[in-house]
Amino acid sequence: MGKTKKAEKKKSISYAKWGYIFIIPFFVVYVIFTLYPQMLTIYNSFFEYYRDGLNVIGPNFVGLGNYAKLFSPNTAGYIPIIRFTLNTGILWIIGAVPQFVVAMLLALFFTSTRLNIKGQQFFKTVIYMPNLIMASAFAMLFFALFSQVGPINQLLISTGAIDKAINFLAIKISVRSLIALMNFLMWFGNTTILLMAGIQGIDESLFESARLDGSSSTQVFFHITMPLLMPIFIYVFITSMIGGIQMFDVPQVLTNGKGTPDNTSMTLIMYLNQFLGISKNYGMAGAVSVLLFIITAILSTFVFRTIAGNKK
Amino acid sequence: MKKLLSAILAVLMIVSLAGCTKPVEPTQEEGKVLNLWTWNDEFWGFLTEYYADEKIDEYNVKKGDVTIKRTTYPSDNGAYQDALDAALLNQANAAADEKVDMFLAEADYIIKYTNSDATMDVKSIGVTNFENTYKYTVEAASDAKGVVKGVSFQCCPSALIYRRSIAKAVLGTDDPAEVQAKLNSWELFDAVAADAKAKGYYMVPTPLETYRTFSNNVTSAWVEDGKLNIDANIQAWMVQAEKYMTEGYAPGAFGIWDAEKNDQMFADGKTMCFFGPAWYFNFCMGNAQDPEKGCSGDWAICKGPQAHFWGGTWMLAATGTDNPTMVADIMNTFINNEEVCEKLVREKAQFSNNQKINNALAADASYGSAFLGGQNDVAVFAELAKDIKFQHITPYDQLCNEGIQTYFREFLNGQSTKDQALANFKDFIRTTYPSVVVE
Repeated sequence: MGKTKKAEKKKSISYAKWGYIFIIPFFVVYVIFTLYPQMLTIYNSFFEYYRDGLNVIGPNFVGLGNYAKLFSPNTAGYIPIIRFTLNTGILWIIGAVPQFVVAMLLALFFTSTRLNIKGQQFFKTVIYMPNLIMASAFAMLFFALFSQVGPINQLLISTGAIDKAINFLAIKISVRSLIALMNFLMWFGNTTILLMAGIQGIDESLFESARLDGSSSTQVFFHITMPLLMPIFIYVFITSMIGGIQMFDVPQVLTNGKGTPDNTSMTLIMYLNQFLGISKNYGMAGAVSVLLFIITAILSTFVFRTIAGNKK
Repeated sequence: MKKLLSAILAVLMIVSLAGCTKPVEPTQEEGKVLNLWTWNDEFWGFLTEYYADEKIDEYNVKKGDVTIKRTTYPSDNGAYQDALDAALLNQANAAADEKVDMFLAEADYIIKYTNSDATMDVKSIGVTNFENTYKYTVEAASDAKGVVKGVSFQCCPSALIYRRSIAKAVLGTDDPAEVQAKLNSWELFDAVAADAKAKGYYMVPTPLETYRTFSNNVTSAWVEDGKLNIDANIQAWMVQAEKYMTEGYAPGAFGIWDAEKNDQMFADGKTMCFFGPAWYFNFCMGNAQDPEKGCSGDWAICKGPQAHFWGGTWMLAATGTDNPTMVADIMNTFINNEEVCEKLVREKAQFSNNQKINNALAADASYGSAFLGGQNDVAVFAELAKDIKFQHITPYDQLCNEGIQTYFREFLNGQSTKDQALANFKDFIRTTYPSVVVE
């Protein structure tokens, strides 16, 4: 009896178990450092749990109390978190749109066999470079450059363009533009390289035949490149969007955590961070996190459905 | 990114676990490391010069065979309190040489620590002589039951610091007594501000400069019965600040630590009045003392429209310290060692926390500050120190004071409406202090 079973086993020899064994380390790390904290965050969001001075208050179960607080209007009659959500959206869009346009153009130029640009390696390195700098250092640099006594103001004054220093960090449009510019500079190289990889993955013969058929570059782009690039494009788009929703370091450092002026550059994570400041308010911070999670999930699904759906 | 973070956390966890397993031996002998927590290097400088035997580097000095080690976090946005709280809450688990032995705290939040078990009775470790210290400095460092938890090395009555040359141009005199007579109330101050403007000068470098004079004379605390409360005097400041901006009595609504404000202290500055205690001369008026662009000697002080104090640094003894003797010794040195206290005044332009020394210098006709054109500042401060009352204090004061200035300044700069500025301030408090009810 035993013999036959053994024989059977041998026949359907499976390496699957090795696969599972090899991914165990990842799952262990994932469960301990990602899944467990995530669950804990959701759990904490139902509790009143913070520090008042050196005393720890809670954890006391409050049900949806934290969420109710999050959505209660302030003394000026609006709900702060909605304002901060809009801020986050605006900051992402004004940085991401130019980023995608420029990255797409660059990717097309670099991969075009007709242009055949020399020294690609060099350009790729250069455009990727800003991403290697820490976001906070980058923001600090811009803070210094654009301060009222900084070199940009000095330059503008010495060339006679303005006669009094502009406080760039106190004007809504300039602060938002600076944040968008920094995010653009940091991420367009990364996007370019991903899109290039996507374009290079498309069968060259398709482009050739299209060209032989006499289609224009625009036609090639919209009817061949774009549709075939879609999976990569969706990936890049969604990661950029998630990154945008989690925008923190650049505006935090640039505005010293205050989202100046008038909270117009306060993002959701900066708001979350305020809860985690001196009072270590895990309950409210947890509620903001859960909200972020929901927003991210909805938007990602939506984007995925619309773009991917169109393709099919 | 997430993975990297997890890896770092993993390493940190292992390190901290390793830290925990080290047995904390209850020694008779005192520790070889004294950990001092600060938010800047002001006191550290005095300690290095007047107490330590040998300077090792910017963060370590030696006294006998004990290394005094400094841990510093910036005060902004409560970062110092934040880090300190974490360390104090972990005090019981920390290894002896890692424990906080002594930390500094400011008037704005000292009550949070004195009213907790994280600090201990300094009388129990040998700081008993408070004969010469200013009463308010002892009250400020005492808990609700009157147990003294720390001492201050300075006393911080704040004065009106004015430019002699501009006072002459505006008021026709630079004599402190006469200037005081002309600026004795806010009404007079406002009238002179208009005068100064007419003559091409600014009254203050920023409307925020007068904030402390108002906030220090409140009749109710920032938090009353658990609710955020904006005192009438804070509101009076807001009215004044708005007026000074619209009337152009200040060059701009700068922050009190901003470079633009400090530029007004150069010789070519156009501002007449600043407000600050003795520590302000060295800590904030570097531009005025600049040998080339500054105007040392062109300054003088008087009481100003309203008596007040600003700041002050207290040394608190942390519960669980393994260096109680040295902690007490440092405290005693800076309040009772007459030689050190006198040096603080003469060499560091401090107003010491030793009345005997201060009064002696106040009465000394030969003593005068070159920076203030020979004026005996100690005499002025000694008089002002009598009026200091440490009252209407809450643990939430630092960020309430910081917050109202930050957000109201946005209004002054035209970045938001007044209502919006107040709403932003209230949102900030609501987010920062969940225990405070904001209506």
